[in-house]
Amino acid sequence: MAEPARRLQPIDTTAEIETPEHVRFHYPVAGPARRVVAWVLDWLIRGAILVVFAIFALMGGLAVGDAISDLSVGLLLVIHFLLEWTYYTLWEIAWNGRTPGKRALDLRVVSVHGHPLRIGDSFLRNLLRAADFLPLGYAIGLVVMARDGRFRRLGDMVAGTMVIVEERRAVATTLRIDPPPTPKELSSLPQRLPLSGDELEAIELFLRRKNGLGPAREEELAAMVAPIFASRMGIRNKDSARLLALIHARASERRRPL
Amino acid sequence: MKSQDEIVAARQVDWRELETIVSRAEALHHLDGPSISRAAALYRSLSGDLVLCRARCTPDLVAYLDNLAGRAHSALYGAEPFRIPAFWSLLTRDFPRTLRKNASFFALSSALFLIPCAIGIVLALFVPDAASQILPRSMLDGMADMYSKGFDEGRGEGADSAMAGFYVRNNVGIAFRCFATGIFFGLGSVFYLIYNGLNIGMVTGWVTAAGFGRNIGTFMCGHGPFELTAIVVAGAAGLRMGYSLVITRGRTRLGSLRESAPDIVRLVVGAAVMLLIAAGIEGFWSPSGAPPPVKWTVAALFSLLVTAYFLFAGRERGRAR
Repeated sequence: MAEPARRLQPIDTTAEIETPEHVRFHYPVAGPARRVVAWVLDWLIRGAILVVFAIFALMGGLAVGDAISDLSVGLLLVIHFLLEWTYYTLWEIAWNGRTPGKRALDLRVVSVHGHPLRIGDSFLRNLLRAADFLPLGYAIGLVVMARDGRFRRLGDMVAGTMVIVEERRAVATTLRIDPPPTPKELSSLPQRLPLSGDELEAIELFLRRKNGLGPAREEELAAMVAPIFASRMGIRNKDSARLLALIHARASERRRPL
Repeated sequence: MKSQDEIVAARQVDWRELETIVSRAEALHHLDGPSISRAAALYRSLSGDLVLCRARCTPDLVAYLDNLAGRAHSALYGAEPFRIPAFWSLLTRDFPRTLRKNASFFALSSALFLIPCAIGIVLALFVPDAASQILPRSMLDGMADMYSKGFDEGRGEGADSAMAGFYVRNNVGIAFRCFATGIFFGLGSVFYLIYNGLNIGMVTGWVTAAGFGRNIGTFMCGHGPFELTAIVVAGAAGLRMGYSLVITRGRTRLGSLRESAPDIVRLVVGAAVMLLIAAGIEGFWSPSGAPPPVKWTVAALFSLLVTAYFLFAGRERGRAR
């Protein structure tokens, strides 16, 4: 499947999806660390199921007077085999590409084109675990994953799937300048700002990220650009971060009447 | 032109509503009708917002919307549900057809499995110590001991169901490993087919040499037609997979692999169903107390059934050769 070379994509762990409605959106692709944790969770769950059955078998055996009969050993082995080969596929079909472990880590299996997982593909990708696991501990799978831009292991490549992150995010908060700009402060700025759209956008992005930065880092970042803008506007730069906030306030005030 | 804060203020209620609906179920078809149509409408308007915001808003908002669109998309287009008619037509039509289409891989897989198996039997029977040089002596003795009793009274209740459970798990593992390792350009399938063929042949030969050939034959003939054939089919699927990686006919390796995937899925699912049947037979029929002649007759019927199924199932009427 030739990837369309429309334009250069930034080097990033996201996959772009175009839906039948021609909506494009981006999924972050799940890296090995997250997937290993999900696998460990699933492994523990499978182990727990087996232990529960073993306890039942033991209690049943004790009731009959036999510590643990061969019959229950046979049954346990069959359950073990069912868990080994069908656990993932059953969950992925029931939960639309998720197992309990994947759900806990907000992972989902989708096709490389972003379509939902199909049964046959789920079966294939999980059978191929036998190859990814070799020689032990998913060594081959991890090496293959590390070499692929979408972190696909062999099973994903055969089945045409990838694992994406669907972590819930918070909606961006509204921008507040604290304390609000006074008319005196604003009057020191020119009516028409000599700044490009990109520069204004960069300032807005900085102001939105401000609360996540430490005060020192905030000052450091603001001090990189504020003097340039100040000299362009011919004003004195006293407080870099404050100046950027004022520029943003002026820009959005100019935009509003339109 | 609206600023980002204004867009958020105007649209946030809808986004929140979509988020609540999407979080309520893994797939939308689990929900009631009004919620589904509401979610679809919200998703469409979200698509518009996404285009607008990508041009005008900061990356954190775009990331939020991307994420919401992705989750809504997954919920709207849920995973393909399991449908019995589709599965049935796979078994009655598509699997045997695909197998006939890939007859050369099936033949190669059979050869890779059966020839080492025959060599194993001959070596174990006629070359003293050949088997015990290759396989652990304790295991061979255990096998011989297991088949020394025969099945005249059936296996003791549960006495050997542990063994049956072990073999079901073991043999399914063998079959799927024969398939999965085909991803290494087919070499893994070749290795596992030869290795397991030789292994099974040696054990059979050893038990026969110990004088219990009748017992092991009677035991294995019941599930053998399904189990051994399934291993060969799984191996054939692995070889098909490896072949598509080597002979790409002008495509990328990955593209060639993906193109052969539908065939591979059909073969492997077919093999899995055969293994399931084999497991049932191995658990209940093979160790039962039925007299050996009855078992042989049933085995012959099973073999005929499998052969006829492979040859004739899913052929269109009038076109059958």
